[in-house]
Amino acid sequence: MQLFLATLFRAAIASVIFALGLSGSAFAVEKVRSAGKAVYKKANCVGCHKWHGGGGGGYGGMALSLRETPLDTAGLTMVIRCGRPGTRMPYHQRGVYGDDERHCYDTSAEELEGAMPPRAHYFLKDRDIAAVVEYVQTWIQGRGTPGYDDCVAFWGADARRCKSMAPTRPDNE
Amino acid sequence: MDLKDWTLVLCVCTALSGNTLAAERTGNTTSERLVSATDEPHNWLHHHNTYDAQRYSRLDEINRGNVADLKVAWTYALGGTEGGGIWPIAGLEGTPLVEDGFMYAIDGWGVVTKIDVHGGRAKFVWRMDPATDKDWAGEIACCGIDNKGPALWGGLVLSHTLDGRLIATDKASGDIKWEAEVASPEIGETITAAPLIVKDMAITGVSGAEFGIRGWLEATDLNTGKRRWRRYTIPAPDEPGGDTWVDTHEAYKTGGGSTWVTGSYDAELDLIYWGVGNPGPDWDREYRPGDNLYSNSAIALDPASGEIKFHFQYTPNDPFDYDGVNELVLIDSEVDNVPRKMILHADRNGFLYAIDRTNGAFVYATPFVKRLNWTAGIDAQTGKPVDYDPEAKIQHYAGVAPSRAKPQSELMCPGAMGGKNWIPMAYHPGLGRLYIPVIESCGKISTSPVEEGGTNIPREWFTAGGITNPEVITGSLTVVDVKQGKVVHKLETRYPLLGGLLATAGNLVFSAMPDGDVIAYDAQTLQELWRFPTGSGIIAPVMSYAVDGKQFITVAVGFGGTMPKWWIDAVPGLENTNPSAMIFTFAL
Repeated sequence: MQLFLATLFRAAIASVIFALGLSGSAFAVEKVRSAGKAVYKKANCVGCHKWHGGGGGGYGGMALSLRETPLDTAGLTMVIRCGRPGTRMPYHQRGVYGDDERHCYDTSAEELEGAMPPRAHYFLKDRDIAAVVEYVQTWIQGRGTPGYDDCVAFWGADARRCKSMAPTRPDNE
Repeated sequence: MDLKDWTLVLCVCTALSGNTLAAERTGNTTSERLVSATDEPHNWLHHHNTYDAQRYSRLDEINRGNVADLKVAWTYALGGTEGGGIWPIAGLEGTPLVEDGFMYAIDGWGVVTKIDVHGGRAKFVWRMDPATDKDWAGEIACCGIDNKGPALWGGLVLSHTLDGRLIATDKASGDIKWEAEVASPEIGETITAAPLIVKDMAITGVSGAEFGIRGWLEATDLNTGKRRWRRYTIPAPDEPGGDTWVDTHEAYKTGGGSTWVTGSYDAELDLIYWGVGNPGPDWDREYRPGDNLYSNSAIALDPASGEIKFHFQYTPNDPFDYDGVNELVLIDSEVDNVPRKMILHADRNGFLYAIDRTNGAFVYATPFVKRLNWTAGIDAQTGKPVDYDPEAKIQHYAGVAPSRAKPQSELMCPGAMGGKNWIPMAYHPGLGRLYIPVIESCGKISTSPVEEGGTNIPREWFTAGGITNPEVITGSLTVVDVKQGKVVHKLETRYPLLGGLLATAGNLVFSAMPDGDVIAYDAQTLQELWRFPTGSGIIAPVMSYAVDGKQFITVAVGFGGTMPKWWIDAVPGLENTNPSAMIFTFAL
């Protein structure tokens, strides 16, 4: 009886651990998306690239479409750290143009002169940049026209602005 | 009498006495009091203090002799810094009102707080939260989570919300009596302005020219909460001024012309004056050939119908976003020894204009910024830029603007922020001096043309281009002698003036800076007499009131607005300013 109970107990623990492990992964994914999305909002990516990443016009000018861009991880990371010379895309890493090491596009602030990108309002740490790059790659890049699911994922299920994108139900459902 | 009759008598008596008590406690803001607001210098009953928008306080207990002793009397945490839409935080742009010892303050989301300010303290009375839909409105707010202030009428406090409503709150209880949906965020409209009360109407101005709206002013009947009239600032083809939109794709429907700064009123002439903003799209004027009336104009409206009686336009076919909404200060003065009833308007484009407010005739214009290159000057007869071509449908002025052929502008001065933005100036009638909060700037703009056959998608940006800030933006407190029409003093400052000025009978001018300092200057010499660091950033106007004979100076402290998002790279040093939501009040 004792052996049976012990086995039962171990199985119960194992299944709890198994369940935790599964929800742990889902939780980890959600946490990365939340961290990346938080950076996307706080660093004002949303102001120019819009909530859907499709970019377009605005006070900041014509922002790149992150949905269509072919930039890879290294490319996205470089653009966020260093900005884009000649455009309003700011550089987000403190001091990246500051020393002699030519971190950005193998050039320096001196050489860029008037093409120097603006500095961002909030500088980002490496892990913030990594989080927002992963967010863009997972939830924005290559995703075609933004739809209702994208809207709800960004603004929430109750968001009024998503209602006009909600799919209409066919009558026979 | 039987019991029923006695009950009726008692109920009526109680109701009567209750109402009387309520009126005494809270003050009844009659139309007569609003017209004669200058008779109540201890109160601040209008957004701009008085209908003439002079922002001049007749209180003089605090004066040049004693202002150095000014100290904090109280502070009050309003709350409301949370963000929404594309804005991570909200700031404070509002001018609080004070009536008979009660202050009405508002935060960026339209929450009104009534504060008892008797006895030199601040005591909470009630708070009205209109439950603004923050993401719904915040996504289409071009320039911050802003609310410039409430208004008072009868037993009501009137206020707007960013998501387009006019709210009428009971002054005594703080309960919402009614609300009206005036603007439509569905099509990119928001509201940031304070209402203007004229007779028994609230006048509402709309925001959204960067989102392809067609601008308007609307009058709401304060007895019923229903619309009295709506006047579009961008005329349809068959309306007066409609022939200044000569395109063939109905550009007037997305023509801009927002009305986001509170207007003024002359009760004798019975005219409402209001500033109309930039045409849309901001930076592709080839999409909207023609002078684009009534963008960038002062308009005078008949309060009964909203009919536009006359106008004066500053920058036709605007290439620059030289938004013409700035406030219209009404003064009675003289020019060349001739008495004139005038409007003074410091425009985004860097010129101070004096316009005859009886008929819209041009009186004079003078540059109030250090650097100006978009035009060679203003014609002394017509009031138009000398390089304005009345025959042309597209204006080039002095040649620094971008175009479809050459999408990057030259360095333009002033930059797109101005000149002067919505930040209110102040007038000292005794000295005949106008004090202008100046943004000394040059900048660049670029054109990204609207596609062939294209138009705006509702709730999408419709600027057809953007700004860059290649230079640092600084500021100045600039003084104009209004009889001469000349700048007589310019005090340069590290930062642009983004708060709002107050002139007082104590011969003081108060200013508040985006680094959080509140400053008092001698109104004649501009000598700095007092300064206090509030520790955040100030983007709201300074005001003054008195209770039981004691004078107070108040300003809302809470950095926000458009600066942290679109202009922060041009003001090094402000990037570490944190949000706040405090009311600061000073006294001797």
